[in-house]
Amino acid sequence: MGDVILTMKGIDKSFPGVRALDKVDLEVRKGEVLALMGENGAGKSTLMKVLTGIYTKDAGTITYEGREVTYHNPREAQADGIVIVHQELNMMGHLTVAQNIFIGREFKKGPFIDDAKMNEEARKLFRQLNIDIDPKATMSDLTVGMQQMCEIAKAISHKAKVIIFDEPSAALTEAEINRLFEIIRELRKQQMGIIYISHRMDEIKRITDRVSVMRDGAYVGTLITDECTKDDIINMMVGRVIYEDPKTESQVAPDAPVVLKVEHLNAGRMVQDVSFELKKGEILGFAGLMGAGRTETLRAVFGADPKESGDIYLNGSKINIKNPQDAVKAGIGYLSEDRKRYGVVLQKSITENATLACLEEYVKGIFIDNKKERKVAKRYVEALKTKTPGVDQLVMNLSGGNQQKIVVTKWLVNNCDILIFDEPTRGIDVGAKQEIYELMNRLVKDEGKSIIMISSEMTEILRMSDRVIVMCEGRKTGELDIAEVTQEKIMNLATMRD
Amino acid sequence: MEKIKNNRVVRAIGFNRIVLIGVIILLYIMFSVLTPLLHAGTTFVSYERIMSALNYAYFIGFMALGVTFVIATGGIDFSIGPVMFASAVISGYCLTKYNIPLPLCIVISLLIGLAFGILNGYFVAYRFLPSFITSMASMQIAKGIGSVFTKTQTVTWPGTGNDNSWYRYLVKWNNIPTGFIILCLVAVICAIVLHKTRAGRYMLCIGSNKEAVRLSGVNTKKWEMLAYMICGLLAGIAAIFYVGAYTTVQPGLGDTFNNEAIAACVMGGTSMAGGLASILGAIIGAIIVALMQEGILAMGFTISYQYVLTGLIVLVAVTADIMSRKRKN
Repeated sequence: MGDVILTMKGIDKSFPGVRALDKVDLEVRKGEVLALMGENGAGKSTLMKVLTGIYTKDAGTITYEGREVTYHNPREAQADGIVIVHQELNMMGHLTVAQNIFIGREFKKGPFIDDAKMNEEARKLFRQLNIDIDPKATMSDLTVGMQQMCEIAKAISHKAKVIIFDEPSAALTEAEINRLFEIIRELRKQQMGIIYISHRMDEIKRITDRVSVMRDGAYVGTLITDECTKDDIINMMVGRVIYEDPKTESQVAPDAPVVLKVEHLNAGRMVQDVSFELKKGEILGFAGLMGAGRTETLRAVFGADPKESGDIYLNGSKINIKNPQDAVKAGIGYLSEDRKRYGVVLQKSITENATLACLEEYVKGIFIDNKKERKVAKRYVEALKTKTPGVDQLVMNLSGGNQQKIVVTKWLVNNCDILIFDEPTRGIDVGAKQEIYELMNRLVKDEGKSIIMISSEMTEILRMSDRVIVMCEGRKTGELDIAEVTQEKIMNLATMRD
Repeated sequence: MEKIKNNRVVRAIGFNRIVLIGVIILLYIMFSVLTPLLHAGTTFVSYERIMSALNYAYFIGFMALGVTFVIATGGIDFSIGPVMFASAVISGYCLTKYNIPLPLCIVISLLIGLAFGILNGYFVAYRFLPSFITSMASMQIAKGIGSVFTKTQTVTWPGTGNDNSWYRYLVKWNNIPTGFIILCLVAVICAIVLHKTRAGRYMLCIGSNKEAVRLSGVNTKKWEMLAYMICGLLAGIAAIFYVGAYTTVQPGLGDTFNNEAIAACVMGGTSMAGGLASILGAIIGAIIVALMQEGILAMGFTISYQYVLTGLIVLVAVTADIMSRKRKN
């Protein structure tokens, strides 16, 4: 670890009604990977936005390479060597890799763009990073992992000295993450200062040198990664100990009836001959790596995407689900991993979202029975402990965890017996995660619901599932009772390719 | 300021609607002062001027009401002006050339509007065409079909005092602006549909997040199509009020009125991004549009100035909408 390259001191930032950052300090050294951790809403993103000039700070100083700086937009920060690799990739799919990297500052030969030079420069960058990507390849043909490498190459090409990674691994496969880490280690060797934002504890332990923790807009402290435990970090993040106990045996009676049976389901490349059964009161985990076809399988079951063949039986009788309408009528609810896009209507109120799936039951004559729907919304807000000032609150003003509860509310109001949770706690902070888990357990135990849970988090699978189905590249590769599950077994099945 | 914005009455009407009512008053004062100055010997302050402005506000108002539903779903309908003209031309031709009874002709006008609504709605909701393209195409069809039907003749509906002229009472009866009463009644019905029924709820939700609504098991296609049908039907109604005010219609025209109706909507607080719509705003917007055209003519300018102004209003209103959204995020 080298000298300090970047110091943020006493950074304040307020938005109307919220103090987003409260005297935050942060220090980055040359040749280190600094993890920036905290629950959602802790202020990590805001701090990085202040650093890169997207927000203007109210108070505090930023010292970079020994001089005080203030950036007014990301371009200025970039020109100075502070770049951010975003979680969502900002790439133009129809352009080539090189064109993407040099977008906005193309090399020119007279009035024309000099593609040959751009390809050459891109190749040099990739060589520097030890990456094997053809600069002439079309961006949309690359995997998400490779696209991210390009994003990193683009960052380097700005002569970066400080690189911020904002949850870079969220969309990557295990192999791609390993590759990413090799690159980050390479960057560290080249004496860059790296800020690594992630929720994945195992990654923090693997790749970072120090961990700075934020909570509720304030700086909590910094630990040396090698000298602390996962619990130390989590304690700092939430101020309480969280135990992630795995389930040791199935909570489902052996003679519990099968509520949903799927046989030989086919839907494109990602769903090939998938069969499974869901028992009453069960939490059935779907494990696998990104792109294993789990979401595609359950979307096909739900009728969100068309299927080619396969039979679905509900409580023993065959049903034909052509679209989500049929599925909802049959009492199946789907909770997408992307709540904002597929789960809630952000600009509408809690009440309006709560009754969206069964509004016809809340109609008196031709009018919507506002009293009745508010009443049911209120009941579930209380039952699910949703944090909101009232049921007229717009869903966009709620946190991720509470938005997830609104989606659950929607399906409970519709009295769905089968709930498909796709990454139930993605983007939800640690404290709220706990509540979602408790809620899921309550749903199967007390309400007699049955749950299918897709999850990419091993701890979540181990902790919640009664039975685990593992998929790899569109096929079901295994089925395990929770009593016999180990991480190694799941990983083994998840990488079992033909 | 915040205090005013949080007042219960202000919130019910909507702050920007109150601002717009202020704009109406300001415009009226401005035209009253400027008209005698710019156009010697004339005045803006008269019953005739108000009635004339209202005549314009009726058909723009009905179209604005209709397109509000479409914009609420996140779509757009550029065909309403020509559809209104096609309805007026064809039903008028039926009345004057084929001697079809007047009530039936009015029904024909509404049905033609509805038919275009079904056309637009089908291609947008069931065939997934962009509403922009669909309505451009149906605009062309509407412009052509009126001309084809009448062999490009101008159609004049019967004037006051003639047989079959009672339809004009829909607009004005014994110096009572009946048109305004009907417009308000229809607006109340629209507001109820939009804010108190399942149809309206679904349309607004579709405008905010169509995929989430579909995945909630709602038949989004049906409700989206319904919005276009309401829009078409209201263009058919607008046709009756157009001829009720002006009697004469030429086939192949009407496209300038789209923009004025859409401008009225957007001004009134209906968001082009969908999901947010105001019926009251559309009516106030229509009155502003009408008042402006009346004022421009009274001051001695040509109607071309109105087009320039409408264009500018759309730019300003949409910019304001986008900026307020950005601030909220």
